[in-house]
Amino acid sequence: MNNNVNISDRGSKSLIRFVISELKPRGKIFTPFNIISGLIILLSLVILVIRFAKGLGSVADASQLHPWGLWISFNVITGVAFAGGAYVLTFMVYILNMKKYHSIVRMTVLWGFLAYSFYAGALILDLGRPWNIINPIIGNSFGLSSVLFLVAWHFILYIIAQFIEFSPAIAEWLEAKRLRKILVSLTIGTVIFGITLSVLHQSGLGALFMMAKAKIHPLWYSEFLPILFLISSIFAGLSIIIVVGSICQKVFKNQLKSDYGDSYKNIVFGFAKICAVAMFVYLFLRLLVLIHSQQWALINTHIGYWFLLEILGFVLVPFIFFIYGFKHRSMLLIHIASIMTIIGIILNRLNVSMIAYLWNDPLAHYPTWMEIVVSVSVILAQIWIFRWIIYRMPILRKSPDWVPEDEEK
Amino acid sequence: MENFSINDIFATKGIEYLVIIAFLAILIPFWVVLNKQVKITKQIQNALGILTANILRIPQGLFYSKNHTWIHLEKSGVANLGLDDLLQHLTGEVKFSNLINPGEIINKGDLLAKIEHNSKLLKIFSPISGKILKTNSMLNESPEMLNEDPYGKGWIYKIKPSNWIAETNSCFFAEDATNWATKELEKVKDFLIMSMGKHSHEPSMLTLQDGGELRNNTLSELPNEVWQDFQKEFLNHT
Repeated sequence: MNNNVNISDRGSKSLIRFVISELKPRGKIFTPFNIISGLIILLSLVILVIRFAKGLGSVADASQLHPWGLWISFNVITGVAFAGGAYVLTFMVYILNMKKYHSIVRMTVLWGFLAYSFYAGALILDLGRPWNIINPIIGNSFGLSSVLFLVAWHFILYIIAQFIEFSPAIAEWLEAKRLRKILVSLTIGTVIFGITLSVLHQSGLGALFMMAKAKIHPLWYSEFLPILFLISSIFAGLSIIIVVGSICQKVFKNQLKSDYGDSYKNIVFGFAKICAVAMFVYLFLRLLVLIHSQQWALINTHIGYWFLLEILGFVLVPFIFFIYGFKHRSMLLIHIASIMTIIGIILNRLNVSMIAYLWNDPLAHYPTWMEIVVSVSVILAQIWIFRWIIYRMPILRKSPDWVPEDEEK
Repeated sequence: MENFSINDIFATKGIEYLVIIAFLAILIPFWVVLNKQVKITKQIQNALGILTANILRIPQGLFYSKNHTWIHLEKSGVANLGLDDLLQHLTGEVKFSNLINPGEIINKGDLLAKIEHNSKLLKIFSPISGKILKTNSMLNESPEMLNEDPYGKGWIYKIKPSNWIAETNSCFFAEDATNWATKELEKVKDFLIMSMGKHSHEPSMLTLQDGGELRNNTLSELPNEVWQDFQKEFLNHT
C-alpha cells in the first residue's frame, strides 16, 4: 500500500477493500477466552431474540414496581462510573498538561467511548419500547422536566465528543493525513466540552435517584448523591484504567512502544496517588452525609452491616492499600487496591439502584440468569471490539511515521 | 411520597463542623505522608548525593565507548548516540550544544558536541564514523533530559554508521560494560585526588583514600583546570 495517499486520494473502492481486509480476525481464533466469551455472547443473542419477540417480562424480572433491572443498574449506572477515567485523564493531560500520562490517553478514551456506546446500548435493551429512546433527541417528546432528558443529551453529546477525541487514531489507521489534521485541531475543544458533560452527567446519574427518596434505604439516600457519584467516578475510572492498562501490558506486549514499559509504572503510581486523595475526600463526605442524615441508628441492623462492608471493606481498605502501594512502589498492592475499588463501586451503585432500592419490599427481587448472561456479554462484546481496535489502530503502538513527532501521543 | 419527613438540618451542625475541622487537620499530615520520599537505601544515597556503582544505570544492550558515549544500533540500521550515566552523574546539569548538522559525514574521533557548566567545557568526540541523520532538538530546550533519561529521550544523534563492526570492537557490551563502569568510577576517584592535589588545596577530597564515596555532580563544583584534566583523562580516547 502506498503510504503517501490521503483519504481524498485513495479511491473509495480501495478504501472499502482496505477496511474489509482489516475486518478479518488476527491471531489465534480458538483461545480459551474466545471460546468461552463467544459462547456467552451467542447465548445472550438467543436471549435477546426472545426478549424482543416476547417482551421484556419473558427474560427479565421486571414489573411495575421494579421497572429497572440489572441492565440498567449494572451496565448503565455502574458502567458509566467506570468510564469516568476518560474525563479525569483528559483533564490531567490536556488541561493540566501532565505529559507523563499522555501515552495512555488513547487507550483510556477508547475504553470510555466503547463503555458509553455499549452501555447506552444496554439501556435500549431494558426499555419496554426501545424505539422511543430517540424522542428526547428529535423532540417528538422532549420530556424537559425529567432528569432523564439531561442524561440522554449528556450521553449522546459525550459519546460524540469522545469519538472526536479518539478519531485521530482512526485517521492514522486509514492514512488520512488531511482529515487527521482537522480532527487533531478539534481535540482541545472537545476535551473541554467532554469534561463539562462528564461532570454534569456523572452527578446527573446521582440526581436521578434523588427522586426516589422514599424507595432508597436511608443509609444510601442523600441529597448529596450527585456529588458522591461524581467523586467516586474519579477513583472508579482510574482503578479500571489501572486494571485494563495492566492487562493490555501483558496481552498486547508486541504493540507497546519501547519506552512504554518504564513510564507505565510511573503512570500507575500517579493514579494510585490520585485515587488515594479522591477516596480520602469521599470517605469524609460519606461520614458527613451519614451524620447529616441522622440515620446512624440504622448502622446496627443487617443492612447497616452491609453498608459498613461497602464503606470500610471496599473504600477504606483499598484506600489504605493505595497509599501503602504508592509509598512502597508496589504494583501488586495497587492492583489489589484497584480490584477492590472496582468491587466497591459495583457494590455502591448496585446498592443505590437495586439492593437497597425498595429494601422493605416483602417480595425479594433478584435478576434472572438471563439478565446476568446479557449483562456479562455486553462487557465481553466491548472487550472484543476494544481488542479488535487495538490490533489495528495506533492506540498503544507508535503513530505512523508521517505523524509529526511533537504531535505523537 | 408518604415517607417524606422533615429533618432538622441544623441538628447536627456542631458535629459536622467538627468533622470538617478533623478533615482539614488530617489532610495536612496525609498530604505530607503521601508526598514524602520512601526511605530505601538507594534513595538515601541518591538524596545524600553519593555516587556508587549500584546507582549507575547501565542498560546491557548498548555499546559503551571509552569516552563515555553509548551507541545502539536499531533494527533499521540507524545508530543512536548519547552520553552515559556516569558522565552525567559527574557533571550534573549542563548546557548542551550540537556541533554537527544532519547530513554531515563524521569520522571516528571527530568533535561532536560540547557540554558546558558555568563556562567550564567538556568536548564529546564521536566513537563511530558515519552520516549524521538527525539531531535531538529537544536537548536545546530541555538539556535536563541528558540527566533524566540518558539512554532514551536524552539521545544526541542518529547516525548511519559506515564502519560499525570494526569501530565497535573496542566498545564494552553487556556485563563487560558494568564491570568497566565500576572500574571507571574507581578511576575517577583516583583521578580527582590527583587532579585536586595538582590544582587546589581543598582537603575534603583526601578522605576518598579511606574508601569514601563520591558525591553526585562532583565535577560541577570543581575548577576549570580539573575539567580540562578530566577531558584529557576520560573523554579524549574513543
